[in-house]
Amino acid sequence: MISGRRRAWLAFAIVGALVLAACGGTDSATEVVEETTDTVAVTDTTPAAAAEPFTLANFTPMEGAEVVNCAPPAGEPIKAAWIYIGPINDGGWTQAHHEGLKAVQAALGDQVITTYKENIPEGPQAVQTIDQLVADGNTIIFANSYGYQDAFVEGAAKYPDVCFEHMTGYKISRNLSQSFGAGEDGKYLSGIAAGGDTKNGKIGVVAPFPIPEVIRGINAFALGARSVNPSATIQIVWTNTWFDPALERKAAESLIAAGVDTLAAFQDSPATGEAAKVAGLGWAGYGADQNANFPDIWLNATIYQWAVYEVPRVKAALEGRWIAGDYYGNLGDGFIKMSSIGKRVSADTVAKIAEASARLAAASGSMFTGPIKGQDGTEKIAAGVTASHGEQMGMFYLVEGIIGDLPKG
Amino acid sequence: MRSPLRLERRLSQPRSLRWLVPLISIGAALVLGSILMLLTGKNPITVFQRIVESGFGSKTALRGSLIAATPLAFTGMCAAITFRVGIINIGGEGQFFVGAIGASLVGLALGGQPTAFTIFAMIVMGMLFGGAYAALVGVLKARFHTNEIITSLMLNYLAGILLNYLIFNSTSYWRDPRSIGFPAGKPLEARAWWPKFELFGVQIPLGFLIAIVLGSLVLFLYRRTRFGFEVGVIADSPQAARYAGMNTRWKIIAVVTLSGAIAGIGGASDVGDFRHILDAKGLQLAGYGYTGIVVAALARFSPLAAVGVAVVIGGLTNAGYALQGPDFQSGLVGTLQGLLLFTAVAGEVLTRYRIRLRRTTTAS
Repeated sequence: MISGRRRAWLAFAIVGALVLAACGGTDSATEVVEETTDTVAVTDTTPAAAAEPFTLANFTPMEGAEVVNCAPPAGEPIKAAWIYIGPINDGGWTQAHHEGLKAVQAALGDQVITTYKENIPEGPQAVQTIDQLVADGNTIIFANSYGYQDAFVEGAAKYPDVCFEHMTGYKISRNLSQSFGAGEDGKYLSGIAAGGDTKNGKIGVVAPFPIPEVIRGINAFALGARSVNPSATIQIVWTNTWFDPALERKAAESLIAAGVDTLAAFQDSPATGEAAKVAGLGWAGYGADQNANFPDIWLNATIYQWAVYEVPRVKAALEGRWIAGDYYGNLGDGFIKMSSIGKRVSADTVAKIAEASARLAAASGSMFTGPIKGQDGTEKIAAGVTASHGEQMGMFYLVEGIIGDLPKG
Repeated sequence: MRSPLRLERRLSQPRSLRWLVPLISIGAALVLGSILMLLTGKNPITVFQRIVESGFGSKTALRGSLIAATPLAFTGMCAAITFRVGIINIGGEGQFFVGAIGASLVGLALGGQPTAFTIFAMIVMGMLFGGAYAALVGVLKARFHTNEIITSLMLNYLAGILLNYLIFNSTSYWRDPRSIGFPAGKPLEARAWWPKFELFGVQIPLGFLIAIVLGSLVLFLYRRTRFGFEVGVIADSPQAARYAGMNTRWKIIAVVTLSGAIAGIGGASDVGDFRHILDAKGLQLAGYGYTGIVVAALARFSPLAAVGVAVVIGGLTNAGYALQGPDFQSGLVGTLQGLLLFTAVAGEVLTRYRIRLRRTTTAS
């Protein structure tokens, strides 16, 4: 018998869900985590005074940054660990990070002992993994997924003498840094390749999540495509996945059925490429150079060169000069790299990519210079104005020429 | 040609099998695992030593194993409760999600209230949400004879889509408005986090203690009450039960609702004990509901034993992460864990069936 009480609870829950919708947002790209009062930061200040402070292009030290001494005892190698969301051979995101690990090992030789943990689920297991890695003597720990952020905030408070390096997040603290880079620069170049490749002017994008990072990338891609093919349209399908080859392939096939004749995908799997290969359509990938595997359909892709950031960071930790901050690399410092360009891309388009690449290397994010209109034709960026870094980080609209929806706020 | 071997159901289970089969299973697992280790150039003895050490060998190891075990204890119980009476509710996954949604709703809303009150409200909401979601399966089965395997499985996907909607595709109450980079759940206030208890220096999550209490209560319900007796009769013979005047429909709905309510409390524990947010992506990747079915099978569908098996599987999971690294690929860890589970389940089959040689002379 369903009692009135249960019905009341259900009604309460449904009403609660509907009424309590809240929205809001902030402009700042990073947020400083308040130090918890019950943790006493035990810092050795002696090497701080002696060593010169850490600097790196595109690295902004946090306000009031102090040197965190995560160096090993003199003469001993530093132990550095990486926590990966995927397998090291995923052909994309995690593999690119693993290249960073290898570069650190190669650059520092016997001064460093590297280790890694792959396929670590976000949530409680990440905290446990940090505990294990610290117990094993690792003093600098990297992690390559947004979902580890809170575990890293917790770990940084718990282990004040360990240097924490989280990627793609926004929370920083005394011993917790953030790093990522302008993937949108590379996606603009992929857009040029796709714009040059399409015959009917219809390009399809298999898109991971409707979040600012991805939206910014799709907009950059669309601006790139329309810079060489002003009437091109970019149709998007959201998969809400980073790595789900079966679903991503279906999404790609749905776009092909809708009549697009060039594809791009920003997930970590080459599933869209598989679908494009069957249909013989051009494909722009993401995070990995798939030219050798898909020679006939390959356009190009954005590649992240984590070594550009990680090698100097581990070196700084080794020398007792590590400070927390926020890094945003780009084409200029080599953090963002363009993959090899496929043979089906015309010489004319290759030249246009090279020209745009040089322009963006000098001024990252400058494709977001007005006049830029939104999907509905309203002006989003005024003529001659370039969107600020903060505005780009919070971008939540699609530009003109994109067919598809964003979740309503 | 027919196989010369066949499985024959045992009419009675010899007592000796109860301890002999698990022993042989463990032995077989060790032998098969050792072969795998030797083939990949590892020393099996050190590997098994490391598994025991990093799963159960220290206080931090045990703490980690209990963290991994807690959600599995709930989903294991959820599956055990229904499977033992012949209802195949594989919806623990979705019921767990929905419980987490309900618990985080009230946890966020009551964040400023006294901790004990907030925790109690979270448990109740997890229970109600999980129970109500499972009740759908029960009602469909009891009233329309819909196959509960299909409906509970479909509702898992639906719950996953609901999670995605709440965190990724809307600015719902659950979503943190400050999560500009990547959408995430709104964090629970620290005072609403569930407390941890210490026993012999090992940290125990509140959720794990709740699981033990619930397991005992359910065992009592099944063994010592009229309700339990009637459910048992319905499982064995629905016709006989109806003939005896039992209300089979309501019993089916009640059992499925109970199992969902327990999975829902597991969802509440996930939010209160561990994540402190509604973690749409993490929950879906974890697959607690499906692992819970394995836990229930190994526990022979005893709700209390499911809690114990959850600790073993939790320890094995935790040890797996400690074990893997540059010298031990995660795929190898997974293969080893799979071997151990496979032999355990295979052994379980042998306690109920026996292998007989077919007479080959019948061939014409």
